[in-house]
Amino acid sequence: MVLRTLLNRLLISLIVLVGVSMLIFGIARVIPGDPARIALGPNATTEQISKLRAEMHLDESLPSQYFHFLIDLSRGDLGTSLYTNRPVTLDIAEFLPATLELVFLAGIIMVSVGLPLGMLAARYRDSWPDSLIRVFALLTVSAPSFVWAVILMLLFAFYLPIFPIAGRISDIYEIERVTGFLTIDTLLAGNYAAFGDALRHLVLPAVALSLSGIGQAARLTRSNMVETYEKPYIEMAQAYGFFPSRIARSYAFKPSLIPSLTIIGLDFAAMLGNAFLVEAVFAWPGLSRYGVAVILRKDLNAIMGTVLIISITFLIVNIIVDLLIGYLNPRVRYSTRGSA
Amino acid sequence: MSALLDIKDLKLGFNTLAGYVDVLKGINVSIKPGEKVALVGESGSGKSVTARIILGLLQEHRDALVSGDVQFNGQNINTLSPKDRASLRGKDISMIFQDPTSSLNPVFTIKKQFLEVLSRGDEKLSRKSRVDRATQLLGTVSITDPKRVLNSYPFQLSGGMNQRVMIAMALANHPKLLLADEPGTALDVSVQAQTLSLMRDLVTQNNTAVLFISHNLGVVREFADRIYVIYKGNIVEDGPTHCIFNNAQHPYTRALLAAVPRITGTGLPDVPEVSDEFLAPYVGHMQVS
Repeated sequence: MVLRTLLNRLLISLIVLVGVSMLIFGIARVIPGDPARIALGPNATTEQISKLRAEMHLDESLPSQYFHFLIDLSRGDLGTSLYTNRPVTLDIAEFLPATLELVFLAGIIMVSVGLPLGMLAARYRDSWPDSLIRVFALLTVSAPSFVWAVILMLLFAFYLPIFPIAGRISDIYEIERVTGFLTIDTLLAGNYAAFGDALRHLVLPAVALSLSGIGQAARLTRSNMVETYEKPYIEMAQAYGFFPSRIARSYAFKPSLIPSLTIIGLDFAAMLGNAFLVEAVFAWPGLSRYGVAVILRKDLNAIMGTVLIISITFLIVNIIVDLLIGYLNPRVRYSTRGSA
Repeated sequence: MSALLDIKDLKLGFNTLAGYVDVLKGINVSIKPGEKVALVGESGSGKSVTARIILGLLQEHRDALVSGDVQFNGQNINTLSPKDRASLRGKDISMIFQDPTSSLNPVFTIKKQFLEVLSRGDEKLSRKSRVDRATQLLGTVSITDPKRVLNSYPFQLSGGMNQRVMIAMALANHPKLLLADEPGTALDVSVQAQTLSLMRDLVTQNNTAVLFISHNLGVVREFADRIYVIYKGNIVEDGPTHCIFNNAQHPYTRALLAAVPRITGTGLPDVPEVSDEFLAPYVGHMQVS
């Protein structure tokens, strides 16, 4: 059953990916400006430019260019970046782990802080904890994450130097690169001091990135739970004297989590894009920064690679959320149709 | 015999955005141990809130104002601490709701919910013995495959099945008083009749007192020893079931009796929405005990 759902989802995801790649392929080539000229600079001769254009199949028709792209892709080749002069796959392998590390931690913070806050607000609805949480949630949602990045940096790295101000790790540590995830690599190297240092570098950017998600998750959980509290089965639990905290944590929370989960999953995936400004503030060498840099330089291969990898992450998160909902919602789990 | 539940001059009002709303205007209800009593009235007459007050749920509602005496087993529920009130629920007092399927939590199995109810009765009971007890209790409500039912979710069972589960849960901890708020109104008539007669047999066996809340006098006739008729927050008539049916004095009770649809095909009975007659003074029938 689960396998069928999974296969179904993977197939749909593949179709979405093809669609996204075509769309971005087209859009990237419609943006004004000659990528070859931008790459070679103002002093390049016409011959040099036409040579590069031929190399990149830029003179051919759009479908033919896309065809070349697909053939290269099937060999695992995303082409060379005109910005870094390296294979795009290498660039992604270098920058993606930094972003994923940041986004994962932010996602964990979002869920582990946002959901309990929402639960608490619904449990103590219309009393002071609720008001406090609602104000907090509204505050975090209403300012973009880069504003929080700057505020957090000023407060906790500049005025109160508790956390490092920028970067992924202090220069004194030489860590052998295995996975690209510094928190994992430092542990693999057995260097716990470096691990602590990498973690400390992660805290501020991750918190800044997660804040609006926390507010969103808290508001969503609260409103869904307030609705659930009106349901007859909650009255039944109260009538049978179940403990209020137990009702909140289990009987009211679980039915409310299911509708929230889809949105939280989308929020999580959206962090990949939002990460750019936070990465910019904290000089975080991640993929989002890379993505913006290559778009500005009209580096076609790098744009395609970055967008594809972000789409894939998005789709994977979606599949995970679908599976989670299936796990949490018995109605989906026991539905005979197979696809949820 | 002294009363198990004795409600004296119970008043209830709500503070709403539109001002204060009077819901109960001083009602008196008394139930002896093991007695089956019905509270009958139309929607909005205040019957369901009465059940919530007996459970002590409305007293904790911030906009509700409750006054009067609700003596249960020698304690005044209105003045008990929230903790003491909660300790009565699910143990000494339990409740059956209108729609069994939506009264059971959709994302948990029957087993989980049943075991939770059982642990309200005895916290020290092991999981194994609670499962055994739940299985045995489901047997008493004529469920032939208790194992399957326990491992099911409410949406996998029929409404009648869920109602049986609810009845078994409600009586699991041998409550002294069972509140039945329009039980099974959401079910179809034949299933409702089956589950009601099942419930009647079980409460008689267990000697559980019942407050049966309904808008339907016909359903109540088979079930109750005594009937209270409530209209707009006032008890207008009460007495033994046969007195109410054979010798109703209050105009509202008569209108209610006339409102029971009959199979003879005389069309829908005609009951005026409001009538000055309905505000006639209270009629109490003599208790023959």
